[in-house]
Amino acid sequence: MMVAAKLIPQLLCWAGMVLVLARGFSGLRRVVAAAAPAGFAAGMAAACVLFRFLQGDTSFGIIRGAVGGGFLLLWGASVAALYRSSVRGGELSPVERVLRSPAFAGFAAFAAGLPAGAICASRLSASSGASLVSLLLLALSAAALAWAACAAEKRLPSQVTVSRTGSMAAVVSLLIFSSSYILRLDLFGPLTMKVMKFAHDFVHQFMESMLIPDHLFIRDYLWSYIGFLFGKEIGVWGGLFIWFTPVVLIALAIGFEPLPSVAHIRRGAERRKILAAALRQRRIRVVVPALALVVLVAAVYQSRFPSVEYWDPKPLPVAADASGEIFIPRKGEVDLEDGKLHKYLYKKGELEARFFVLMTPGGKLTVDLDACAICKPDGYGQAEGTVICYYCKTLIPLETVGKPGGCNPVPIPFTEKGDGVHIDGLTLINNWGGTVQSTARVKEGGK
Amino acid sequence: MATATIETIGLTRSYGEICALKPIDLQVPEGEWLSVMGHSGSGKSTLMNLVGGLDRPSAGSLKVGGADLQILSEDGLARFRREFVGIIFQQHHLVPYLTAVENVMLAQYFHSVPDEAEARSALERVGLGHRLKNRPGELSGGEQQRVCIARAIINSPKLLLGDEPTGNLDHKSTIMVMELLKELRAEEKFTVIMVTHNQEVASWGDRTIYLDDGVLVREERTGS
Repeated sequence: MMVAAKLIPQLLCWAGMVLVLARGFSGLRRVVAAAAPAGFAAGMAAACVLFRFLQGDTSFGIIRGAVGGGFLLLWGASVAALYRSSVRGGELSPVERVLRSPAFAGFAAFAAGLPAGAICASRLSASSGASLVSLLLLALSAAALAWAACAAEKRLPSQVTVSRTGSMAAVVSLLIFSSSYILRLDLFGPLTMKVMKFAHDFVHQFMESMLIPDHLFIRDYLWSYIGFLFGKEIGVWGGLFIWFTPVVLIALAIGFEPLPSVAHIRRGAERRKILAAALRQRRIRVVVPALALVVLVAAVYQSRFPSVEYWDPKPLPVAADASGEIFIPRKGEVDLEDGKLHKYLYKKGELEARFFVLMTPGGKLTVDLDACAICKPDGYGQAEGTVICYYCKTLIPLETVGKPGGCNPVPIPFTEKGDGVHIDGLTLINNWGGTVQSTARVKEGGK
Repeated sequence: MATATIETIGLTRSYGEICALKPIDLQVPEGEWLSVMGHSGSGKSTLMNLVGGLDRPSAGSLKVGGADLQILSEDGLARFRREFVGIIFQQHHLVPYLTAVENVMLAQYFHSVPDEAEARSALERVGLGHRLKNRPGELSGGEQQRVCIARAIINSPKLLLGDEPTGNLDHKSTIMVMELLKELRAEEKFTVIMVTHNQEVASWGDRTIYLDDGVLVREERTGS
């Protein structure tokens, strides 16, 4: 029951997608009603196969790539739509004829169903594992919802029209929103990271190539201005720009669509009626891209403030023995073998270090700082087969925890002896101190 | 709605116990100019309101241009008024803070989209090319009524209704307005129903009907 409730947002998005597709491909409702559920079922099956045969993050990466590919296609379609809106009249090009054919409608509905099914299967797997019965129920629900959406579309007034690019914007944004509920399928977080890295690399290379002297007198001014480009905000703002632009372009393209030629009509009232109808159609067609924009905003919110409950226990205080060694038993106050993150706080005089012990899915224990070598040491939480860096929201699959590099938690040497792990307190303090010192710049806004 | 033929069978309008219009059978062929005469309270304006879709009958059948106004929804009735009917009132009902051309454009706005060039041309057609930017308060009664005519015909109605359009005008202005309406009717071929107290104004029509206490008591061919 809880699993079914968790799938409600995805299934509602699915119904919305079918509704928009059915209206976008007007007159081809039956094709959409048949192809979309088929695509959904195929997507579910493909996701199950991926999860069974591919380890780690690869299967999630493929599904994420499919949704991201849809977003890139939307970008292309939006630019093409804007260009097309500047061309008045003319006959349909061969490509446009193909885009209006029943075969393409079927293909598009199937293609939209594939990632939708895969996302639902991922959510199911992440929740409680996907049994055959639950998968069958999911496929049946999706088919029933597709049928209901087509029936609802049939009842919509004929004046409510959706442009092809508008329906594509709606479908892609709904897919993105659906996937934003699953941490490892989230697209906005990785996009902001890429933008941040690009801005950082660009500014760095630009300054290097321009040979701007690192002079005492210009340093402070320069950094006060370009510090923004090295901060976290640049990733978010750049990401938002990339995120919203295609939908805005589609809305603009609809706004720029040429009005029908009425110069030959003698009666002014008739002329104005035709123009008014065309303008009304434009206004109606802008509604769907506007709604897509709202859905994308919701996806950003979901990405920035996920509704996932992280496992984030309060650090337990630990002490070292006379030889300076910290001992944590496998089965003590907590069970180190339960696959959960267990946080500890070690204090030595004025100094302290936060770390965690975790058993990876491979069955190996790992001891790591509750900080990475890059970000401000806000620590990590655990959810859906990953640990997440609270500062930069990077997800680290549990399989890779214990390996150094990137935003991975900094691994600490330890020994497994007897019935617990032994950690050298001084090494821990030194590692923490070094890491926090090196990331202190981040703390102060990149200066 | 290809024609403006008006056909009423047993058309009745009651307000509570008061029967403003007793069952009336009337046929107005397309393009006819029908004058409606009668004393105050005889049901002239009630008939005009019903035919123009401003009111709904209490009983009977009312078809205008093939559309059964009895069964039209509120939206359908609004569309009928917007696209099919032009009305000229005695009291002008011009928006005082809009210029003449803006008053005409307002009618365009509610019909479809405003077109200033077309509104100017309509005012020039009624002889107000030099008064485009004047507000109603700066126009004489006859000029205001001509703005009303321009406003009524701007959306090419099939049916033009006049409720005492010359009631507030002197003789010279009345003749000017009636001649203008006659010219426009010859060009646009719309049907006219003109409610009036004035026998001379009524004589501009093709036919006159007389109402008394809500009953059609007499009709006569006039011809002009």
